[in-house]
Amino acid sequence: MRLFLLFFVAGIVVLLLQTTLLHLLPTNPVVPDLTLVLCVYLGLYHPSVGAALGAFLLGYSVDVVSSRIIGLNAFAMSLVFLAVYLSSRAIWLQNPLVTSLVVLFAALIKGAALVLVSAFFVSIEGFWIGAGWYIIREALLAALLAPLVFALLRRGENYVNRFHAAAQ
Amino acid sequence: MLAFLRKNQVALSACFCLLLSIYILIAAARGQLKNEPLGALLMWILRPLQAVSQGAVNWIADFGENYDTLSGFRIENERLRRRIQNLEVERQKLLEAEATNRQLKQLLDFRNHLPAGAITASIIANSAASWFQSCQIDKGSSDGVRKGMAVVTPLGVVGQVVAVTPRAAKVLLLTDPNSGIDVLVQRTRSRGIVSGSLENGTVLKYMKRSEDVQEGDRLITSGMDGVFPKGLLVGTVIKVRKQHLGLFQFVEVLPAVQTARTENVLVVAADSGAVKN
Repeated sequence: MRLFLLFFVAGIVVLLLQTTLLHLLPTNPVVPDLTLVLCVYLGLYHPSVGAALGAFLLGYSVDVVSSRIIGLNAFAMSLVFLAVYLSSRAIWLQNPLVTSLVVLFAALIKGAALVLVSAFFVSIEGFWIGAGWYIIREALLAALLAPLVFALLRRGENYVNRFHAAAQ
Repeated sequence: MLAFLRKNQVALSACFCLLLSIYILIAAARGQLKNEPLGALLMWILRPLQAVSQGAVNWIADFGENYDTLSGFRIENERLRRRIQNLEVERQKLLEAEATNRQLKQLLDFRNHLPAGAITASIIANSAASWFQSCQIDKGSSDGVRKGMAVVTPLGVVGQVVAVTPRAAKVLLLTDPNSGIDVLVQRTRSRGIVSGSLENGTVLKYMKRSEDVQEGDRLITSGMDGVFPKGLLVGTVIKVRKQHLGLFQFVEVLPAVQTARTENVLVVAADSGAVKN
């Protein structure tokens, strides 16, 4: 329950950052996808039914505040979670570089999923054009920030666990 | 069977989420997703937080813009610098109040030119995803905002309301690839569609090679799309390129409104006719 609360708050915070503060970065209009980083973290460190639903809800939230068609990001996030979960046994996160690489691949999967699903369900003329460059830039930004976000989440978890232990 | 389910419960639940997303996508694409209680709840939670957060962001942006002014006082001695900085903060507040006042007055004047029923709103958040150019405003269905209404400023067109909750609404910006605004070239009255694109920014689509379009031409709403009142400025042509092949010419457009610098907007109904001059 306490971890659920932590990730719920983390989800709200990353959504807030993505819709407001991160638009000040010089990379605008490409905004670092922190929701994706959170989703990868859940897939790697908390593979559970609740985390799968959490990944879905993260994507759904992004859809609610951004996308015209609800479900696009929910699908992409669920796919990323599944991919990360299935490959998590083969991944050994020994340093920040590996973390970044995992997030980079996850962002590429998400980008590809978004393009394919958009092409299938939302026939926007010429939506593909330029998408590749967007995917790469977004993936690189997410990969760059991933070690920091992972460290913050781990610190948050430690704090919550220590607080819980002290309360007991 | 039970052992299999238990062993693969995470993968199965992720697959369930994937199927659920596809179901939602199909429903949304068919326009069957009218009521989203989850979305409304999320917007209800996020709205006040976003308003506060956006306030902080605006403050940071304003501070950044005025940094050059502040840095000029560094050569002053410590006491004077402190005093000047205090005065500068006061001045900044007054300038900000004056700017807001001017902006609201412009908005009010502009509102008088618009058909009756225009609603004033503030932008409280931008898009969370880079691919979608949208923003949120602090007025919703309880204030009279409806899906499909046009969002404008005195400078021109901002976008269109695509989703509404009781206290907030989502606006699809004209720079989004999903958007499409029926426009006229003011000089020649040629018609086209202005839309966003990931590759080239904002473009004027379906403009025949034979049509006379020049850099600097102003594009105004035609009023034919049933969304925007006629005569609102959409943007200015900044690049025209006729390729060797093809029916249409490539026309790049600079939107009249830079959403990143916009704080207040007006929401107007489409069926209200043309802009009064």
